[in-house]
Formats: sequence, C-alpha cells, structure tokens
Amino acid sequence: MGMRHIGYATRTIPKFLEPLPGGAKTVDAIEFVVAWARANSLWPLIYGTACCAMEMMSTGSSRHDWARFGVEVARATPRQADLIVLAGTIVEKMGSRLVTLYEQMPGPKYVIAMGSCAISGGPFYYDSYSVIKGGDRLIPVDVYIPGCPPRPEALLYGIMQLQEKIRTEGRRNPWKIGTLNQTPFGDPLSEAKKVWADLEKSRTAPSPAISDADSGNIATDRPKPIKRPATEQFPEVARNPLSASRLDNETIFACILENFPETTLTRQSEHTVEQVRALGPEYLLDLTVPLHRYVEMVAFLKNSALLDMNFLLHVTAVDRLDRFEVLAHLLSADRGHNILVRCALDRQYPEIPSLSPLFAGAIWHEREVFDLFGIRFSNHPDLRRLFLEDNFPGHPLRKDFDDPSRVVRRPY
Amino acid sequence: MTEQQAGLAGDIMENGVAMTVPPGFSIDRREGHTDEYFLNMGPQHPSTHGVLRLMLRMDGENVLEVVPHLGYIHRGLEKIGENQTYLQNIHLTDRLDYLSSHINNLALCLAIEKAMGIGVPERAEYIRVMVCELQRIQSHLLWWGVLGMDLGAITSFLYGFKERELITDIFEEMCGARLTMNFFRPGGSFADVPDTFIPRVRAVVERMKSAIDEYDTLLTNNVIMHLRTKGIGVLAAETALAHGCSGPVLRGSGVAFDVRRSDPYSIYDRFSFDIPVGTVGDCFDRYKVRMEEMRQSLRIIEEAAASFPGGPYRSKKYATYNLPAGSYYSQVETARGLLGVYIEADGGPKPYRIKYRSPSFANLSALNDLAAGHKLADLVPIIATLDVLIPDIDR
Repeated sequence: MGMRHIGYATRTIPKFLEPLPGGAKTVDAIEFVVAWARANSLWPLIYGTACCAMEMMSTGSSRHDWARFGVEVARATPRQADLIVLAGTIVEKMGSRLVTLYEQMPGPKYVIAMGSCAISGGPFYYDSYSVIKGGDRLIPVDVYIPGCPPRPEALLYGIMQLQEKIRTEGRRNPWKIGTLNQTPFGDPLSEAKKVWADLEKSRTAPSPAISDADSGNIATDRPKPIKRPATEQFPEVARNPLSASRLDNETIFACILENFPETTLTRQSEHTVEQVRALGPEYLLDLTVPLHRYVEMVAFLKNSALLDMNFLLHVTAVDRLDRFEVLAHLLSADRGHNILVRCALDRQYPEIPSLSPLFAGAIWHEREVFDLFGIRFSNHPDLRRLFLEDNFPGHPLRKDFDDPSRVVRRPY
Repeated sequence: MTEQQAGLAGDIMENGVAMTVPPGFSIDRREGHTDEYFLNMGPQHPSTHGVLRLMLRMDGENVLEVVPHLGYIHRGLEKIGENQTYLQNIHLTDRLDYLSSHINNLALCLAIEKAMGIGVPERAEYIRVMVCELQRIQSHLLWWGVLGMDLGAITSFLYGFKERELITDIFEEMCGARLTMNFFRPGGSFADVPDTFIPRVRAVVERMKSAIDEYDTLLTNNVIMHLRTKGIGVLAAETALAHGCSGPVLRGSGVAFDVRRSDPYSIYDRFSFDIPVGTVGDCFDRYKVRMEEMRQSLRIIEEAAASFPGGPYRSKKYATYNLPAGSYYSQVETARGLLGVYIEADGGPKPYRIKYRSPSFANLSALNDLAAGHKLADLVPIIATLDVLIPDIDR
C-alpha cells in the first residue's frame, strides 16, 4: 500500500513542480539525492552457484570488504534484495529458478554477470548439454565482469560501474524492466557458426595497417620477430617405487581366478597370473565378468577375508558403440588396493542387477548411470534421473547423443 | 512431477487433503490424519552451500526424511572432457571442487603420469606436497568461517577469511590465480615457485599456529557451538563405509582411512603426520577432525620446508600426451575426501571416457541417515559439517 503511494508521488509531484519557477531544478535535486542513496545502498542477493561465489565471498569479507561501497546487506531472500550477482555457471535446471528469483525482486533491480560462465557459458560453452550460454539469455544484465573467476577487485570495479549507471537514472533516463527470455536455448549452433564465419572472414581479410604500409602512405617498419628465450631443458626422471604395503595384483588375480575361472583381463590376449605380473605393479586390475556372475563377483570381493574390498568407489559406464560396459570400482580401505569389475551389456535393452543391496552408496551412482547412459538397474529401490530434468531428451553421455538445440560442437 | 508440491491439480485427494508424495520418499502415500507435511529447502538457500535442493518430510519441527535433489549445477564436465586433450582437462578439474583445485589438478596429473610412465623430480614432489597441504588448510579455513556463519556467528567468517587471504597470496604469486590454479602438469608444475615461496610459507605457518588457537577460543570452546553440534547428526562407521563416505566425514566416525596413508601418492610416505579420528561421529567430531587436520597439515608443510631441495621443477615435456589404450585410475585425498580420476584411453590425445569420483557425492548420499530424527534447525550444522560442495557433486 505504502509503496504504491510512493510510486504515485514520484510520478505526480514532478508534474506539479516542473511548471513552477525553479521547479525543474528542485525535481533534479530530489532525483539526485534519490539516485545517490539508491546507488550507495545496494542490497545483493546471496546467490552463487559455483567458483565465482567464493570470490564474491572474498569480496564481502575482511580484506576487500564491499561494505565500503555500500554493498553490505547481503540478503537471502530476493524480496529484500535489489542486486543479483550472477556468480557461477547457470545450467538449464537452475535457469527457470533464476528467472523466478529475478521476478520476485522488487524494482528497481540490477543484475551483474560475474565471470565468463555468467557472460557466455565460459569454459563450458562448447560440448555442454546443460549449460546456458550466458545469463543474459534469461534475465537482463547491467554490468558484465570478465574473468574466470574475476578477482575481488574486478567485482568491486563492476559494482562501481553499476553505481555510475544508477546515478544517471531519473525522469529523463528512467529505470525500465528489461526483457525476460524464458527460452534460453534458441539456436546456439547457427549463432556459433555465424561467429566463426565472421572470425574466419576477419582472419583472411588484409589488415588495414599493412595495406596502408604497402601503398606507401605510412612509413612503417615491419615488426621485428620476437626473440624467444631458449626452451628450458628438463631431464627424464624415473618413477618412484610404490609403497610395499599393498597387496600385489598377482595375489588378487590368483584368488579371483580360483573362485571365478571365467574372469578375463580386459584388452589382454592372455588371462593368466603371469600376464598380470608382466603388466607391472602399476597396472589397474581391470576384470571382465559375464553378466550372470556380476553381483556374485562383487559380493565375493566385498566378503573375502583376503581381499576385503569394503569400499565402493564408483559405478559408471562406457559407451562402446556396439555395447555398453558397466564398471564397478572397488577399493580396500584398509589395504589400499583397488579393482575394476567390468560387465558388457546389450546396447538395445541395457539392464543389469543393482549393487544397492551390497553397498548403500551404489544407489546414487546407479541413478547417475541411468540418467546419463539410460542403463536400467533391476531391483534398484529408486531408479529416477539424478541430475537432469525428467523431460530431458536422451542420455547425454552416450556417444551418439546429439541435440543441436543445446550443444554447440567444438569447431576445432 | 519435479517440483510440484502436494496439493496441486492431479493429486489424489481424500477429504480435501492431498495424498500424493513427492518422488524419492520411502512412503508411497500420505496418511490423511497425520500432521506430516513436505517442505522444500533450496536450491536458493543461504545454508545449503550452493544450489543443493532438499525435500523434507516433516512432523512439526522434526525432520522425518530428507531427499536431496541434485543437478542444479550439472555442467556435463565428463562430456566436455571427452572432447578436450588431457592437458586441457586439467583446467576443468579446477572447477570440480574449486576449494581443492591444486589437489584436483594433481589427481589428473597422477593418472597421466601413471599411464605414460613419467617420473617426477624431487623438487616438484616437495612443491606438490606443500601446495596441496596449503590448499587443504585454505579450504578448511573457509569451511570454518562458513560453519560459524551458519550457526549465527558472523565473526568467524571474517576471521577465517583473514588467514585464507594470506595463503591465497602465496598461490597468486606462484601461478597468478587465486582460485582456479591450473598449476600442476604431468611431471611437475608449469613454473617454478618464486624465491619468496619458502619464507612466505614459513611466515604463514607461524601465523596459522597461533590463529588456530585463536579459533579454538572463538568457536571450539563456545557453549552455543557445543549445544548445536554435540550429539547432532551421528554417522555410524558402518553406514559411512557403506555409502562410500571419505575424508573428515569418515574419519569423524572413527575410521582412520586417509589416501595419503593407505595408498601414498607423491611423497606423502616420507612425512610424519597423524590421522585424527572422532569417537562418536557427530557434528562436533567432524569439526574437531578438521581443526586437527589443519594442525597436521602445518606439520607436513614445516617438515617439507625444512628440507626443500633444489633442482629441476619438472621432468621432460612431451609435445602431446597420448595415453596408450587402457584404463587408468588415480586417487588423492582432497580437503573433502577421496577424489578418484578414472580414464578410459583409446591411444589418442583425448580421453575416450573420463570419470571423476568426487568425495562430496558419496558424503551427501548419507545425509538422510544423519538428519532423520533431528530438528529442522539441526540440518544446517549437519550440512555444514559434511562440507559438501555442490559443483563437486554435480560435475
């Protein structure tokens, strides 16, 4: 109620004051004070998704102290904030939430895109299927701060630039709400092609400085080649020996062969203990088991008194184009050795028993594999997608995944 | 149904009460006559340390069940990594767990070294150990500051950052970056440390020794801190192992598992340090373990600085790093626990498949076991002492 009255007052009072003698100057003076106050009491929203948030925290803490510039009262709720610093990568799933946050902020409100991810997607621009290529595809941005991440000084400078902008606002240059773009993807592929075509054109076109020199108008010397320092020479160094306390690969493989004679070594022609010895102590024991003995094998590794592999590192998969391979990686927390158990799956209908009865931690790892590869796990208690939205088309870590509306392929 | 609250259109209604349950909970159907309700926390929340989203099943103020929802910062690092060379992948590991970026770099470099049989000179190994331990202290300092802020004490935030900036200065002088370092290379690092490195490290170690004692007076012995963390979020050792928890979370539960000791990489087997463990496995134990870890890291750094050798800072450079076809794995102990890098190589300059086994992922998966039965306000110290980092989980 009160806010509406203030808005009414700011609109109508200038109308009455301006025709009076000296009225315009009075309105100018009032506007100056309002803009000055607004610029020096920015209330940022505590919003940070990734690395840039750490530099934002540094900016707010002891050494850099953004309170010196009036940016002090960091708010956790958007309803009390008027500045949002886009600190970190914005992905598709977060995008709609970011728009909601922006809409919940009362105007006049400002946005700073901090770091290359918030500007353009940054290091994740190419090949990523989930990163939104710039915060300004979603919400209007006032100030861009380059860097990965920008230094705290850069953020302070960006804030000062924003304050400059706010100070110019008044009835001649009113604050307007920018356009919201709810469909962030558009067609990044054709955009990228255009950018690259322009870049190629600028590369092949003769640069103006050289053409002037060739025509004889300007007397310029050709730049002298830079003297590079002699490349440093580095010696070849032998590897440090491994610590002796580890159980060696031969003992582990002999123990497994005794119980599971059909086990083979991945990518090796022979499947004997001698072959394991020939591969050296640093070889990662990489075993292939048939599908029907997969769970049995992992259970054996877990319960065997000799091997004692009580720690599941991860469950993941590899797309081999003609088949999938599911990998369970186990570690012995006490003795330090680790084994990879690999199992080939039909690519058409990939399904494998879950390891969740053996390791509670497998539940999330298998959900991740289901999400990114589309491999089903039978008797899994909660088989849902882990990272992506339920309606995401396809499984992105498959080698044949292609979605031109999301992915910009790296052109080099 | 992704974020629908119970009670929206399409729910099964009984006497005007929605019976539908959001996905992931152990119950299928809400009982109409109970006071149970569902509460959404995050992804925009100041105490979830990033963009973590939790769905809570509540009874009054008691948390009955927690279902974490991930993917709000899932950037597809593993897919991007498949199209970049091994050296280009190093800078991507910075952005996994950006508070342990040196240690992440090291994990990938170790895998490449193992595959190509590259040795590391003595000086480079010392640089690695000292820098990684400085990074661990830096990460714990930030955790300590933010933990205090989560409990309502903003002072610790300012104190933690005060010392953290000093370590950041060392990194900045060394590699030009404050956060995303990209410093290590297979066989050493891309540059030598400056002459001022050892004096500055010595100065920081001296300062840190008294600073940690100061932190103890500020927060460790604070009665509010004890009331908020003792007996809260107890994690049994068996549960922690079953979930694959590692780092201070596992050690807080009394399991003395540390990759630096069980499978020593670099030259960690030459230094004497203790592995602090907790007894109960509650929030306070995890807190104490991290505080003690900072002291142990200082011990390692001091020992290394005393015998810092000269010589080359890296071994022979290769024009391309083409890993022979095969599977390679390396693991390191970051500030959060066991980080594993698994590479499936096909002989070319780019990995066929690269997988990061991140510590926070496994640590967070145990959250329901920790938080169930506690009050909603206790969830904040539980998440804070798990010290999860969401980009590390989502990758």
